[in-house]
Amino acid sequence: MISVSGLHFSYDGKTEVLSDINLDIDRRSTAIIGQNGVGKTTFIKILKGLLRPASGKVTILGEDVTQKSAAQWASVIGLVFQNPNDQIFKKTVLEETLFGPLNIKMTPKAARKRAMEALSAVGLADKTDVNPYDLNLSDKKLLCIASVLAMNTRIVIFDEPTIAQDWQGLERIKAIINSLKAQGKLIMTIVHDIDFVAECFERTVVFNEGKVLLDGDTADVFAHVDVLRQARVSQPHIAQLAELAGLRRVCLTEDEFVRAFKDYAFIQ
Amino acid sequence: MKQLTLYVDKQSFVHAVDPITKLFYVAFAILTSMLVPTAYAGVICALLSLSLLCLAKVIKNASPVFLFIGFVLFTVVVIQGLFGVNNQTEAFRLSGLIFYREGLITGAKIILRVVNIVSAFLILTLTTKASDLVEDLVRAGLSPRIGYVITSVFQIIPQMISSADIIMDAQRSRGMETEGGLMVRMKAFIPLIGPVVLDSFMSTKERAMALEARAFSAPNKKTFLRERPAYTYAAKLRGAFVVLTLAALIWRLAA
Amino acid sequence: MKKILVEHLKYRYPQAAELALNDISFEAEEGEKIGVIGRNGAGKSTLCQALTGLVPHFYKGAYGGRVIVDGTEVLSSSISEIVLKVGIVFQNPFTQVTGAKETVYDEVAFGLENLGLPRGEISSRVDAALELLRIYRFKDQAPFSLSGGQTQRMAIAGIIAMRPRIIVLDEPTSQLDPQGSEEVYQALDDLSDQGLTIVLTEHKIEKIAQYCDKILVLQDGRSVAFDTPARLFSAEDSDAWGIRPPVYTSVCRKLLRPPTGVYPVTLSEAGEALANWEAST
Repeated sequence: MISVSGLHFSYDGKTEVLSDINLDIDRRSTAIIGQNGVGKTTFIKILKGLLRPASGKVTILGEDVTQKSAAQWASVIGLVFQNPNDQIFKKTVLEETLFGPLNIKMTPKAARKRAMEALSAVGLADKTDVNPYDLNLSDKKLLCIASVLAMNTRIVIFDEPTIAQDWQGLERIKAIINSLKAQGKLIMTIVHDIDFVAECFERTVVFNEGKVLLDGDTADVFAHVDVLRQARVSQPHIAQLAELAGLRRVCLTEDEFVRAFKDYAFIQ
Repeated sequence: MKQLTLYVDKQSFVHAVDPITKLFYVAFAILTSMLVPTAYAGVICALLSLSLLCLAKVIKNASPVFLFIGFVLFTVVVIQGLFGVNNQTEAFRLSGLIFYREGLITGAKIILRVVNIVSAFLILTLTTKASDLVEDLVRAGLSPRIGYVITSVFQIIPQMISSADIIMDAQRSRGMETEGGLMVRMKAFIPLIGPVVLDSFMSTKERAMALEARAFSAPNKKTFLRERPAYTYAAKLRGAFVVLTLAALIWRLAA
Repeated sequence: MKKILVEHLKYRYPQAAELALNDISFEAEEGEKIGVIGRNGAGKSTLCQALTGLVPHFYKGAYGGRVIVDGTEVLSSSISEIVLKVGIVFQNPFTQVTGAKETVYDEVAFGLENLGLPRGEISSRVDAALELLRIYRFKDQAPFSLSGGQTQRMAIAGIIAMRPRIIVLDEPTSQLDPQGSEEVYQALDDLSDQGLTIVLTEHKIEKIAQYCDKILVLQDGRSVAFDTPARLFSAEDSDAWGIRPPVYTSVCRKLLRPPTGVYPVTLSEAGEALANWEAST
């Protein structure tokens, strides 16, 4: 759905933030991980049309990303920003959710329908008339997600969705992501929370110093412990336990671990 | 994060002068050029400030500022020359337009005044760290709270600019057009204001708490870790500026 | 000696309808590390502010009960007296930079200048704090040139230099990448070796379980549990408190029935328990 070839980028024309990125992003949900400052956010901004590549080509659904403005790409790619306070400006939850759909020229009726669906999906349907500033941080984040979902884009990107979320908020975000996947949308994220990656994302791309260090199915990527260490990325907690317990495979969920451990203990 | 500062880090005798003496100079240069009833005083003060900028090796950094005000002042002179209220004597004609002597003189006076004010302040801002100026003022008795407010302005503005960038991106991502004619840009501005103000309000609250945690409101007298090098001629220079300014005042009253 | 003593603390923010803290009691000994967990809005940050006097001196409102830190009662002392006993570090490393100073060294000295300490004393304390937080090599750099983890350590250094006996950290790593978080946790280890009492809020439950001696669970402003990590996460009703146990504990719950009823809470404990799996089933 997204194809990136020979992508280079630099803010000042001297130091390269991204150098020679080649990625073919298919339908698998994809997490981009790596330390701060390795170019993850820059990469996402280029996909979104917010920045122009210095060289190389990025196509989205077959179309060159530089052919349209960021605003025009809005009907194709949704991006949920990290800090809700950077986005929210309307007087009610419903108006905030309607802003995107109306911008991309949905009819008021369709926009309203989409907005209400999105608010139900995030559990804010009963708060449509509330002033967003009166919501707590978790709910603000969910509102931002709803305001992007309402635009019904084929691609949705999340920037650090788990920051400052408690357990319940996290579970809710996981459920939203799973339901978007079920609808056949392409989901991408940049995130530090490795446990979240292990649980929700089929493919993982590890960035290091502006380059793609590892790329593949999430379980395969987390098998490369030494390479991950180079990018200062650790394994998911459950995978660490699997390694310590002597299981010779990468486990990504608790159930996977329990099954694998019982088999292993049985053979021993 | 970028710091908002015009300070140019160079070695010169102007840089070596302490911030408060430079403040005295600013007051002297501006007041004298306005008080003394002949235009020559303004010319001399402007030349003095400009040559100090040259000697401080910062005239290059000052030139964009002069370029900008030059453009504004040029239009002022043209308008005064053409339409000044006291216009009587024709000076010259240019492609059918009549320029008047009186208006041109008024324009020239305005130029002189603005150049004086701007160049005097540039000496202060280009050769002095804002934090040094504030610290010296606090040592001289300014309330640390007011001092901090001044310093934090230099900090909050770049912070607002960088958060405005992110907020703008967030709204473009939701399909808001920001590229295009004046109306499009004006409309794009509205969604910025709320979040920018709220962001800086919240970080100001957090910063206030962080300051409290660092004993900012402790009632005792503060100490200063850095001993500021005393500038040898501070007292003499300050005295000279005061005397010269008083002289200008007397000249004005006598005239 | 009790370093922290909280008795029946109640607090309501001005104009708020409900209590943010409702009858909280707990205590901490010298050198103990206390983790505070709970849902967003459960009162974790408010409790941090109450321990450092920001509640009720910075935030006014209705206040009841007692908070005593290192022998000083918070309600009857001013913030500048309390900061000598207990320091606080906030979530966002960058809003804690004063912005009034040119170098990391001077930034750390800021609090000591405010206290009016003599110059020699300031330098020796700043040197020690920079060493302890392992940021001495950045001392001449501009404060805003540091990474998130380094900035947060600079903020901690600025607090530590004031020599409090207690340090409170409100989600100190939530804005940092894993590398930055690790740096901060290492620094906290060093501080606790120095005998400081530490109170810490954090969402990363595996970290809290591994790091803290005791955990206080807040729910809707009330304290619903205060115990060691092992006993707390082994309790049957821990799910009802709106928290989840560490991954290691929940996996072991599916595989083991320890005779003591106490489950592993850290990676190494879980590894050990699973190594003896045969024996325990």
